[in-house]
Amino acid sequence: MKTNRFAVAGVMVLLAALMLVPLNLPQMNDWLFRIATLIMLAVSWNMMASAGMISLGHSAFWGVGSYGCLVAINYLKLPFFMSFIPALLFGALIGMLLALSTGRLRGVFFAIATLALSEGLRIIGLMLPDFTGGAAGMFLRHGARPAAMVLYYSAIIAALLTVLAAWLLSITKLRYAMRAMHDNEDAAQMLGINPLFYRTLISTIAGAMAAGAGALNLWHSAYLAPDIAFSLHFAILAQIAAIIGGVHTLAGPVIGAFAIIGLSELSRTSLGIKEGYSLLIYGVMLVAAITFMPKGLYGILKARPARKPAREGLAPAGASPPNDAAQP
Amino acid sequence: MSGATPLLSLAGVNAGYGESQVLDGLSIDVGAGQVVCLLGANGVGKTTTLMAITGIVEPSAGDIRFDGQSLLGIAPHRRVELGIALAPEGRQVFQHCSVHENLLLGSFSQRGRKVRTAKLDEIYSMFPRLAERRMQMAGLMSGGEQQMLAIGRALMSDPRLLMLDEPSLGLAPKIALQVYEVIARIAASGISILLVEQNTQTALSVAERGYVLSHGRVALSGSNTQLLDAAAIREAFFGAGHGRPDAALDHPQPNNAGTPQ
Amino acid sequence: MMYVQLAIDSLLLGGLYALMALGLALSFGVTNILNFAHGEAIMLGAYGAFFGLTLGGIDPLLSLPALMLVGFLAGYALFRYFLKRLLTAPQVNQILLTFGLGMILNNAAAIAFTADMRSANPSYASESIRLGEAYLPMGRFIAFGVACVMAVALLLWLHRTEYGRACRAVAQNQLASTLAGIDLKNVYAVAFGISIAIGVATGVVLSWVTPVTPFMGFHLLVKAFAIIILGGIGSIGGAMAGAFLLGFLETAVAYFVPEGIGWAEGVAFAVLFLILIFRPRGIAGQAAEG
Repeated sequence: MKTNRFAVAGVMVLLAALMLVPLNLPQMNDWLFRIATLIMLAVSWNMMASAGMISLGHSAFWGVGSYGCLVAINYLKLPFFMSFIPALLFGALIGMLLALSTGRLRGVFFAIATLALSEGLRIIGLMLPDFTGGAAGMFLRHGARPAAMVLYYSAIIAALLTVLAAWLLSITKLRYAMRAMHDNEDAAQMLGINPLFYRTLISTIAGAMAAGAGALNLWHSAYLAPDIAFSLHFAILAQIAAIIGGVHTLAGPVIGAFAIIGLSELSRTSLGIKEGYSLLIYGVMLVAAITFMPKGLYGILKARPARKPAREGLAPAGASPPNDAAQP
Repeated sequence: MSGATPLLSLAGVNAGYGESQVLDGLSIDVGAGQVVCLLGANGVGKTTTLMAITGIVEPSAGDIRFDGQSLLGIAPHRRVELGIALAPEGRQVFQHCSVHENLLLGSFSQRGRKVRTAKLDEIYSMFPRLAERRMQMAGLMSGGEQQMLAIGRALMSDPRLLMLDEPSLGLAPKIALQVYEVIARIAASGISILLVEQNTQTALSVAERGYVLSHGRVALSGSNTQLLDAAAIREAFFGAGHGRPDAALDHPQPNNAGTPQ
Repeated sequence: MMYVQLAIDSLLLGGLYALMALGLALSFGVTNILNFAHGEAIMLGAYGAFFGLTLGGIDPLLSLPALMLVGFLAGYALFRYFLKRLLTAPQVNQILLTFGLGMILNNAAAIAFTADMRSANPSYASESIRLGEAYLPMGRFIAFGVACVMAVALLLWLHRTEYGRACRAVAQNQLASTLAGIDLKNVYAVAFGISIAIGVATGVVLSWVTPVTPFMGFHLLVKAFAIIILGGIGSIGGAMAGAFLLGFLETAVAYFVPEGIGWAEGVAFAVLFLILIFRPRGIAGQAAEG
């Protein structure tokens, strides 16, 4: 992950500054809240992606965090700040289990595994109505909700902490491990990096981050159902944010989150685009971003001449696609 | 070489992969009906030369002409239609296809399909072992059998120029000998052959001419008798200080030391 | 008697799953790109059959060839002119681009067709024949029949035709294929086009068997992945075996587990995880680890 100190500092200052803006306008609050949770999710996704783990089912962590929080509030009757603890723990746990169970699966297979995880959890949620309320879902315990301001400030602080955590991790040895793993895990191993250890570490931390975002969201909406908790939609936004902003960078996901929410607000208020179209637009944005801006906005801002790919497709000797020869 | 235009000629070819350039002003010729070999240590560009001829690697400078026509810009699968075939390094047989299917695939091109039945008969009689194992999965065969199959598959496209990349690699000497007997027979049938080999002596037993490459260009060229002079070869191989033992050092020096051309 | 019914139901389900998995296995095996939008081909095929029947009065079996042709052409063009860039792109791009395409398609469908559940209802869809003490649902049986015919046709094509053989060759070794005179660009596009056509066919036969919704493709996609991984990457035979195995497991769960019908949907995911943990190479495939 590339981390330009100025970019990182700029981001954190920006987020801190947001807290000073008089947050009296309800739309502003809502807007900032969504940005904050999206930043957490995008940074989390980006962290895993930078280590070569493409997660298509990031909603798994989000959902688990939401339910962890729900348990804390409705069943354990924990107060606001404590309610995040089970959420973060659940997220970290699922992250750890994911990494351990998938071992060293290559990109595509790991992606499939994350999808399966998210979908599987959704079905489990649907099949345990006593716990989750089934398809109808469940509301937050009455009177549990804190003041709106508390919630919003918490979200911004959480986003700040997330970016800080990601930055701190990136300046440690983790950065080299991630870079190496992203390119070639076998080679990384030869450098003395234990891929499984780092994968688990990253997955655990990223899982906790995303879970935290899910918990915040639960406090905000006060209602949860398995289809919503494990819905891929918000998780997809996180991916798009990271890609648009610039994968493998620290500032990228943040920039992207602002861009996405900004765009969606713009399209909603000024163009009057209905909810149903938003996902369609996100899909188009994703495809466009991959096609035209593989380096994201961050890359465009820092424009460097692109390196030519080593060769156009074929290797000189022994070009069997590694491990995938079909055998019809 | 005097006489008619060579079947294949490379002139001043620069080529490589991405940012690394391997061939640097390479110029070689193969005349019709000739057997020519490319020699040299690892990494000098022998395989890259073959890749450039097949079109998998496009030169950044220079020209490659086949039968008087420039090949630049012609896609690899189209060059097969012109009559260029390669049996690549490491055999590269279709592991999960039978011997027969491998041969059918070798004649996928229009050129090959026209003469497919005749060619199949020819190949099966040239390689009785392949005929015996017609339905066997190619991946289960021994190295020597796979090499025969790779050569047979290349022949199925009815080439005028057959290129072979290290046909004796990894084979026991007895088997390598059998492979070279086949190569000699193919040469005798009039097909031009461009042969890349690590083993100088073996290559020159069947090639009439050779080029020794070094650093992506020709360092030494001559007839087989000239090149069998160990001193000249050694100098060309080790000119830049590559300390690699050469099998050619073991065999007796010829009486008349040829001069490099 | 219950076991006979169980056998019939799992066999019929397995056949449908086999067709679904075959399409994906073909494109993945030849191009080495996993098409996350394959489910949308299924979905569009189902809608095509549905509208063909309700708006045009055309029986799905009759609209099947035309729909498949459209699917093939669309798939061919999509790959040849757009997706081929993914051949040399990093995996992130491959995954996300096809995933994004899938998103576009299923949300466009949701807008165009609304999210209501539809179902094609040709006459045979609701009949069933008595076989001793068991019932043979005609709708599913015909779907199964079509799936079998397609699968056999595909296998024959792969093994007995020039181009099919070329596809297998490209799946195994791209260098050797090029040297044999095979035009890789074309083979990729053709294989992809055929895989989309098969996806469309899967959708058509499903149109009278399961509810047709804009998001049906996505749920099936994950099952298709589970099957391919269960059967082993790169093995068509394994994919078929995996399909029947999953069909059996889902049916068995639906029969024997309390509230099994709900849980049956989760079987694919459980299977997927168990396989990934214990035997990532599946029944018959090569290693998935890197």
